[in-house]
Amino acid sequence: MAVTPWEDELTRQLQEKFGEQILEFSSYLGQNFLVARPEAVIPILEYLKAEAQFDYLVDVTAVDYPERPERFELVYILYSFERNQRIRIKTRIPEGFRPATAVPVYPTANWLEREVFDMFGIEFQGHPDMRRILLPEDWTGHPLRKDVSILDMDQRWVRQHLGIESGQ
Amino acid sequence: MPDSTFLDATELVLNMGPQHPSTHGVLRVILKLDGEKVIGTECVIGYLHRGIEKIAENRTYAQFAPYVDRMDYVAAVSNGLGYCLAVEKLLGVEVPPRAQAVRVILTELNRIASHLIWLGTHALDVGAITPLFYCMREREEILNIFEKYCGARLTTHAFRIGGLQYETYDTFEQDVRAFCDMFLPKVDEYEELLTGNRIWIGRLRNVGILTAEECKAYGVTGPLLRAAGVKWDLRKAQPYSGYEQYDFEIPTGTIGDSYDRYLVRIQEMRQSVRIIRQALDGLPGGPIMGKVPKVIKPPVGEVYVSIEAPKGELGYYIVSDGSTQPYRVRVRPPSFVNLQALDKMCRGALVADVVVVIGTIDIVLGEVDR
Amino acid sequence: MKQGGALRRFLRKVLFIDLIEGLWVTFRYQQPKYIYTEQYPAERPKIAERYRGAPRLNTNPETGETLCIACNLCALACPENLIVVDSERDEKTRRKVLTTFTYDTSRCMFCGLCEDACPVDALELTQDFELASYSREGAIWDRQMLEEGPRPTKYAY
Repeated sequence: MAVTPWEDELTRQLQEKFGEQILEFSSYLGQNFLVARPEAVIPILEYLKAEAQFDYLVDVTAVDYPERPERFELVYILYSFERNQRIRIKTRIPEGFRPATAVPVYPTANWLEREVFDMFGIEFQGHPDMRRILLPEDWTGHPLRKDVSILDMDQRWVRQHLGIESGQ
Repeated sequence: MPDSTFLDATELVLNMGPQHPSTHGVLRVILKLDGEKVIGTECVIGYLHRGIEKIAENRTYAQFAPYVDRMDYVAAVSNGLGYCLAVEKLLGVEVPPRAQAVRVILTELNRIASHLIWLGTHALDVGAITPLFYCMREREEILNIFEKYCGARLTTHAFRIGGLQYETYDTFEQDVRAFCDMFLPKVDEYEELLTGNRIWIGRLRNVGILTAEECKAYGVTGPLLRAAGVKWDLRKAQPYSGYEQYDFEIPTGTIGDSYDRYLVRIQEMRQSVRIIRQALDGLPGGPIMGKVPKVIKPPVGEVYVSIEAPKGELGYYIVSDGSTQPYRVRVRPPSFVNLQALDKMCRGALVADVVVVIGTIDIVLGEVDR
Repeated sequence: MKQGGALRRFLRKVLFIDLIEGLWVTFRYQQPKYIYTEQYPAERPKIAERYRGAPRLNTNPETGETLCIACNLCALACPENLIVVDSERDEKTRRKVLTTFTYDTSRCMFCGLCEDACPVDALELTQDFELASYSREGAIWDRQMLEEGPRPTKYAY
């Protein structure tokens, strides 16, 4: 099954409101998503929450594509209890770009964005508490980036803490 | 001078955990106290972080399946179901009806097991020691069924992508029916111990209130959301694995305090038994494995599939790049998101209530930290 | 009525009826059918037939030859990469012959993917569950250990 265009009442409204800011409306395996410019994400979230009953932010996560010029893809998954509908908002950002935080719109984004920062090193602008969450404070690197290898991590750890070569 | 002080004492910072019996694992909560009153909390998590999502990127799709059991280890079957459904959706594989029904039976048994662990430990936190023994006794029967079915009790790895690896054993139906018949009176027994118990009500009523609006704002799902009066269950809202065929109720609470959550979970156990009985009655025959290629290589694309785990919405966001290994697996853990509301629920409460609130969220640290 | 009730209550108190009732419950649970504790190791636990425990490399019971065809599928299926299969080609029959088989039980999570992958049912997870050893090396099993199975110390009671 291929990616198909997604068109309905909601996409028309969004198109009207945001126009060029939204690059793509698509649907894959029956799941709708849209790709927006990074600076438009928060206004879109605000709009969807206020006007389209998307009152539940399910997840914020990222995917790393090191070979692309815009390295990271940020993914926001939204759900509406009213419509029983789920959509994804995706945006592509380059290394070093600091996207705006979604915490003022959805308080649940707090820890989710912290995890994205912890795992990918994407800093959110305006986040109340931008620290690592799962890894220790003194950890170096961001493990879910594609250039971090688990074998290297293991070898480094074993050499440092046990003073031997890892068997992995 | 802060006007809310009632002891006129200075702030006290108290460290609770990570080695604390009532934090249900290695959760560390830093409490800021004014006398007995909590004026702020901060959770320190990650002590159990194993990098599940990174492991996934270095395993094939089939190889990663046993790892998901290690997230929410008291509800391993639910984790496995979510993962299998997500990969099946990506592959476009149809699961045979028999496999779907057996999956439902095992998942509901696991939901009961998870709720039993919650009930036992929560009651223990509050000071009632007997329910723990009762709950563990009944959970043992469920684990025995799991052991007989797939050979493992806790981290079961019961399902495979596309269906089931194991056909049900000879006395499976009999065992599950016997469990259902035995279990319902036991639930009444728990209720007899707790529902009208003055200490239990005193410790739980009006503690850790989270209204429906707050639940939605914090992304809190599962029994916590239902206790706040929202009739929402993914098994009904977006049915998967054949849940649309079964007739069951979504229990809801009214004000969303810890006592409502207790009632909701007790009712959910009863509803689970109801689902299991229906699934057993209509257990179809036929194959247990769908048409899955030997080498699992989903087409390029991404998918988000979520199920109603015992703790809330458990989602898997899988990105495939067309190879045998997933490009990215993101787990949306219900415990992690629900734990975030701890601060909201604890502010203004007493120190002793923090224990109740942690218990009532029903967290499993393996899932919070992954 | 009321007086009778009072008398009854009084007699119950004097004769410790409540206490006796309570103790009756306690002693009732001494009955063997209510005992859940297993006297391990004197009493062996009941293990399900499909239990995924210690790995075993099956041999042909008549000839004692291994069933393993050294196809390496188990090593490929293992998520933890803990199986190492070595083979050499027999010049006469032109078939692969197993030389060494190493299985690291210390990293094994008993998921059962290796036994699913085995095309000839040579590798199997058995009902043995006593896998403790005094050293880390003891958890790495070679071919002989896998064919014979673990030999836990038997204690006299």
